[in-house]
Amino acid sequence: MRRLPVYLLLDTSGGMFGEPIQALNNALSSLINALRSDPMALDTVWISIITFDRAAKEVIPLTELASFQLPEIACLQTGPRHTGQALELLINKVTKEVRKGSGTQKGDWKPLLFLFTKGAPADKLDFTKAVPLVKALQFGTIVSCAAGYIKDEELLKLLSDNVVHLDNADSHTIKQFFKWVSETIEHGNKSQGTGETVTLPPPPAEITVVT
Amino acid sequence: MATITVQSIINANTYQYIDNGEPKSGTAKNVYFSPDRKYVVAMFKDKQDFQQKERLKKITSDHLNRIKNAQGGDYYIEELYRWPTDVIELNGNIGVVVPIYKPAYFFKKGYANQDLIMGEEKNGKWFAGSKFRNKQFPLNLDQSELGNWLSYFQICINITRGVKKLHQMGLAHSDLSYNNVLIDPVSKSAVIIDLDGLVVPGIWPAEVIGTPDFIAPEVLATKHLNKTDPLRKLPSRLTDLHSLPCLVYMFLLYRHPLKGGKVHDLDTEKDDLLSMGAKALFIEHPTDKSNRPKLNQLSKWDTHWGDVNKLPYTITGPYLKELFDQAFIKGLHNPNERPPAEMWEQALLKTTDLMQPCLNPACDQKWYVFDNTNTPKCPFCGTKHQGTLPVLDLYYQFKPSVWKPENHRLMVYNNQYLFQWHVNRHITRSERLSTAEKKPVGYFTFHNNKWVFVNQTLKTMVDKTQNADVPIGSMVELTHGKQLLLSKEEGGRVVVVTMANQ
Repeated sequence: MRRLPVYLLLDTSGGMFGEPIQALNNALSSLINALRSDPMALDTVWISIITFDRAAKEVIPLTELASFQLPEIACLQTGPRHTGQALELLINKVTKEVRKGSGTQKGDWKPLLFLFTKGAPADKLDFTKAVPLVKALQFGTIVSCAAGYIKDEELLKLLSDNVVHLDNADSHTIKQFFKWVSETIEHGNKSQGTGETVTLPPPPAEITVVT
Repeated sequence: MATITVQSIINANTYQYIDNGEPKSGTAKNVYFSPDRKYVVAMFKDKQDFQQKERLKKITSDHLNRIKNAQGGDYYIEELYRWPTDVIELNGNIGVVVPIYKPAYFFKKGYANQDLIMGEEKNGKWFAGSKFRNKQFPLNLDQSELGNWLSYFQICINITRGVKKLHQMGLAHSDLSYNNVLIDPVSKSAVIIDLDGLVVPGIWPAEVIGTPDFIAPEVLATKHLNKTDPLRKLPSRLTDLHSLPCLVYMFLLYRHPLKGGKVHDLDTEKDDLLSMGAKALFIEHPTDKSNRPKLNQLSKWDTHWGDVNKLPYTITGPYLKELFDQAFIKGLHNPNERPPAEMWEQALLKTTDLMQPCLNPACDQKWYVFDNTNTPKCPFCGTKHQGTLPVLDLYYQFKPSVWKPENHRLMVYNNQYLFQWHVNRHITRSERLSTAEKKPVGYFTFHNNKWVFVNQTLKTMVDKTQNADVPIGSMVELTHGKQLLLSKEEGGRVVVVTMANQ
């Protein structure tokens, strides 16, 4: 059995306080419900949630979609955003959780990583140090989503070619983004074109992809 | 929310659909409902070129008309396909008009424990694996949605007939998969959808290579080549004949015929490409056992049906076993060896004649195929058959006084019917039969501790063992070794009775 591990890294720093964290919780629950209505996703998808503010925390270890219980994601009223620490935790978890193929056992699909953040990492040094290690883990896709104005968007581009930019973090745009996340996760089992490359589904019109 | 009016590019017809900003979104199309919900308008997300437009026009006019006007046309259009009926254009974008699916194809209940998918489409995938039927799985389907094992034979027969007709018309589906069929085990029906990608090799090339799990090995093995390379293999009638048995196998055994435990490469993508492509190997290959599923590596929800030793493909009976061998052993890498759709249809139909109801009321499958032993039992729950079991073998007249076996057997159970297609070898069981031909000619019943056949309409039936006519309205006892001539007409068959489980 091959699993498709999906890691969600979610910003819970002070910047998310208020409407953004509410919208995020709402969108997450839509995402999980959409995936749980999809027999293909239920066959393969395993999800893990890691949050980060001044510390990184594994909220849910890699869990099969059907058994997944979505908790309410809480955030701090104030406090920095240690994205770098989140990446360190991620590296640790992926190394342990994702099954590699061996001569006698099939490995998991390449994991997917979705990073949702309201701003640039506060721990820039840790972040830049962790980036090459994350990349070495060979994710199938890494998507960073930046909500609202971000000063150091360049940093996120180090991590992934796909930086999706949301103009703001209201419930509509966040929901659109997570709908796209769900389409990206579900992409694998659809009809494949005769072309050679597998591409991500186009992002919804409301958001901008920085390339 | 806006109601949009669109115009056909073929004729003067106009259509309406409601755009609420959140269409149902597929791989290539966005789907909108008409205000009366009698049809949908499926708009292509990408611009379609001239050739695509011509293809769609042809599918919705010439091909549609050919099917409509064929014998049994209504059956195909109403039951087997959701065929697009028109092509429309809006601001340079193309869409197709498709009749809506019947209510049976939407979940009445869905999951046993929550309403999440109630009202959603019954995509074939829900029924093609074992997870959703495992009562321990947190999101298992309600028992009321699952039907019984016999349901899936009728479902496979429908799909097979749909494919057969396309092939007869010189078309190939090109992307046959559980995503492109809707099935309803409750009413025992299935319908093929997404027919706008039909392929005519040489004229309309394939736009997709198919859906993973169903792509033929030769297509995957040549995927890296350029589309214009003569060695590149693209979907065709022969690749449909790989996808079709994959579907049949999955709907009957709830596992994939090629997804076993053999590792070809440490890289997941490469391994998958090889194990479904160039190195594909049937998981139940009789001699090369290297791709047997490893039970300890399966999802814990899939171990029951994943155990090919406990539930081998031979439980589908001798006719299907032979075809599976041909499709997944001989024909796996030799496309020309793959059995045509019609053979699958006939094998499925004949297999239903071998089926027995399981005596255990709690059995999940309810039906099983007679295992050709003297003491038959249900392979699913292990319940033994109680009492004698008449087995009827059909013979045809090869020349005067020489009768040869048809390789067709009919298992008798209480209140089982006999039909014209059993009586006369010139009548083939198919969707083209008239209503009169589909009427039973008699029935079997266990009466006063004896198995008897009651003749309802057979005019010239003879008990050869007793040398006595069996007139309409009379009955004849089934005893071991008894020979019955069902009809004196040309093509009339003899059945020979064997009593099993004595």
